[in-house]
Amino acid sequence: MSSKESINKTLFVAFCLCVACSIIVSGTAVVLKPRQDENRILDRNKNVLSAAGLYDPAVDDDSNVAALFAQFTPRIVDLQAGEFLSSEEVSDLGIDIATYDQRTVLNDPAYSNAVPADEDIADIKRRVQYPMLYLQEIDGVVETIVLPINGYGLWGIMYGFLALEGDGNTVKGISYYELRETPGLGAEVRNPSWMAQWPGKQIYDASGEVALTVVKGTGSGQYEIDGLSGATLTTRGVDNMIEYWLGDNGYGPILDQFRSAAGN
Amino acid sequence: MGLRRVLDDIEPHFKKGGKYESFYALYEAVDTIFYSPSKVTVAEPHVRDGIDLKRVMITVWLAAFFPMFYGMYNLGFQANSAIAAMGLEGSGDWHQAIIALFAGHDPASLWDNMVYGAAFYVPIYAVVFIVGGFWEVLFAIRRGHEINEGFFVTSILFTLIVPPDIPLWQAALGISFGIVVGKEVFGGTGKNFLNPALTGRAFLYFAYAPNMSGDTVWTAVDGFSGATALSQIASDGLPALAASNGLELTWMNAFLGQMQGSIGETSTVAILLGAALLLITRIAAWRIMLGVFLGMCAMSTLFNLIGSDTNPAFATPWYWHFVLGGFAFGMVYMATDPVSASMTNTGKWIFGALIGVMTVLIRVVNPAYPEGIMLAILFANLFAPLIDYFVVKANVARRRARGVL
Amino acid sequence: MASPKKVLLTPLVENNPIALQILGVCSALAVTTQLSVTLVMCVALTSVTAFSNFFISIIRHHMPSSIRIIVQMTIIASLVITVDQLLQAFAYEVSKSLSVFVGLIITNCIVMGRAEAFAMKNPPGISFIDGIGNGLGYSLVLITVATIRELFGSGSILGFQILPLIENGGWYQGNGLMLLSPSAFFIIGFFIWLLRSRRTEQVESNEYKLAPHTTAEEAF
Repeated sequence: MSSKESINKTLFVAFCLCVACSIIVSGTAVVLKPRQDENRILDRNKNVLSAAGLYDPAVDDDSNVAALFAQFTPRIVDLQAGEFLSSEEVSDLGIDIATYDQRTVLNDPAYSNAVPADEDIADIKRRVQYPMLYLQEIDGVVETIVLPINGYGLWGIMYGFLALEGDGNTVKGISYYELRETPGLGAEVRNPSWMAQWPGKQIYDASGEVALTVVKGTGSGQYEIDGLSGATLTTRGVDNMIEYWLGDNGYGPILDQFRSAAGN
Repeated sequence: MGLRRVLDDIEPHFKKGGKYESFYALYEAVDTIFYSPSKVTVAEPHVRDGIDLKRVMITVWLAAFFPMFYGMYNLGFQANSAIAAMGLEGSGDWHQAIIALFAGHDPASLWDNMVYGAAFYVPIYAVVFIVGGFWEVLFAIRRGHEINEGFFVTSILFTLIVPPDIPLWQAALGISFGIVVGKEVFGGTGKNFLNPALTGRAFLYFAYAPNMSGDTVWTAVDGFSGATALSQIASDGLPALAASNGLELTWMNAFLGQMQGSIGETSTVAILLGAALLLITRIAAWRIMLGVFLGMCAMSTLFNLIGSDTNPAFATPWYWHFVLGGFAFGMVYMATDPVSASMTNTGKWIFGALIGVMTVLIRVVNPAYPEGIMLAILFANLFAPLIDYFVVKANVARRRARGVL
Repeated sequence: MASPKKVLLTPLVENNPIALQILGVCSALAVTTQLSVTLVMCVALTSVTAFSNFFISIIRHHMPSSIRIIVQMTIIASLVITVDQLLQAFAYEVSKSLSVFVGLIITNCIVMGRAEAFAMKNPPGISFIDGIGNGLGYSLVLITVATIRELFGSGSILGFQILPLIENGGWYQGNGLMLLSPSAFFIIGFFIWLLRSRRTEQVESNEYKLAPHTTAEEAF
């Protein structure tokens, strides 16, 4: 047996290899981390802006995104209490707004909780207790509210943002950034012509109930959105998502504040 | 025997070394339509019978006429009813001019309905036949095998399981895929492990889902929208069933086929007539048909017993599963395809039952596909060789235990 | 010793890792809906294969055979993680679409296969070229598949609309099957069919022989 098969040699090679590889891997990870975080946030900002109808990938480049997003203030809300948290409360919770990612804390019991089955119309099982909203304020007046939403479609949970006007009642736009729906059918929720129906629709009726629905077939009036043809379950999923997140267990109480401020 | 002499006279041109050597397959096809082939097996064991593959296939082809003619009538009936209800002038596309030459749009008139149906059905069938035939002949010539009449069956079955509204180019693409990928790449009839007609339909189903599913394709009128019975069940359950013309869909109507759907799939009665012909001539395997039926009954009864608060389709009883969608058609014409089904007798029972069980499972549990028979049969096709393998193995083991081997 | 040119070009057609050895099919299904994503995947795989071959070849005389496979895996895994980090930093959009499939290069049989079959027996330079060659063989199939899938599925190539879609007012109806992974199976199948009908030496021999009376030749 040659010397390279000896135990000492084996251990030595293994050790050297581990050291070399770990230096390379951790080195790249550390060096590239800031850039990667920047990318992640840029991507999220693009999604927020496109829900609000302010981002067009054909026109806007990354530097525009930064400028456009500067109008938005990220705010954390407490869903259980139904109110915005002040910056002290936020730091008490140990949340750093700059890097907070509500998708990664979804399974952390400190920040999220299980949704009871009878309330869980969007079929999401768990939700974040402290989601991050984005407010666009112009001259001290809230112009746009962007809400993160998610819910089960046909093959999996769809994630997106819903943008409302400052009155907390008029839709400004919707965009999904992650979904597993069938291409050509359910995935048509990303089709610009379908998304174009949303701006201007009203959410709550006179009695304050969620009236906005996605109907099967062709919708009419200010409360109805056309369903996607051939995608019954995705259509229902979007409808449930709206009903859940804008309802009393979702952002309803928070949006109430905007609606009463707007005088209706 | 003038014809025989003509055929014999020209035969040398098609033999090896003749002028039209590469077209031998065409000559052979014509020859064997009129005369039984002279080839016989020389080694035993063999069975003497007047029937050959060509006669088998032609019988199946004839058996498919029952659902075909009813399908044409029903296509017209559904469309004319919709036209009357919506107050339209006609189908709203190029078919309208052709229909107007021969008939009106009275849903009570047999003639009007048949003409309407034919105006939709015949073009689809013609396209499927020509395009499919082209591939069949091309491969026969290239590969030097005979033109196989299995193609007659494939083309008519394929036409009967597509929605009446299907664009003709899609029909052409579907049959091409079915013939080429479902059959010819594996070496032609006898070597394919999938049913070619279903392969073609599955291709269209996934490639052009908006034209193969949903609410607008089942009645051949532009702008008409109505869910099929199965998708109504999937979303709202049995009590919500309504026929496309606004009336309630009774079991009897569904059994007779007075509902919208794929061209030849609606009428269980017509399909059963075809089944009778196939069983009397002993062409289709009764074990497979019965296996599919029993598998479906068992699975749907099981779902009835389990019950579900959230999924109304659980409550659908077996006699509804039997008359809705393509179940009966698949059971009679598709599952019994002698090439892609199991060959052993025990295997046929298992193969059939697997289809029945899978059909109900897909219909009831899978949220995306209200109809399941197509996928169930293709799925079972994959398992057919394996089923046969185990049946033969078990047989060998049993006989060895008895000390026979 | 084979010439570098031969080592580089043989895996393209004569000994293609996907078409002949049927390796690495998993990622060929998953990342071929868009050509741009596929190109990045090809570059990633080619560089991982080339560098893993290179490094493994350098230390091949010092590698104890008892931990040979683990050593190879460690090197490959480190390279893959590095590539993944680079993509996340410099091509975020693409790395999102590639998701886990960059990570899965670790388990890609091509990389492992070349390390074990070639780099362990050959000097670094030629091993590097062999890695590039096999990466290119993989890329050739993937790019073919992706071009077909993107063109017929979305009517575009590299994001440029070639066939205007009906949804956007054009005439082309996108083929939904092309957007689903199984379509890559069919396309790879057709690719292999085409390749083997031209190069019959690649056709596998029959595993069994049919009894008389049943082959087409005998029927005539």
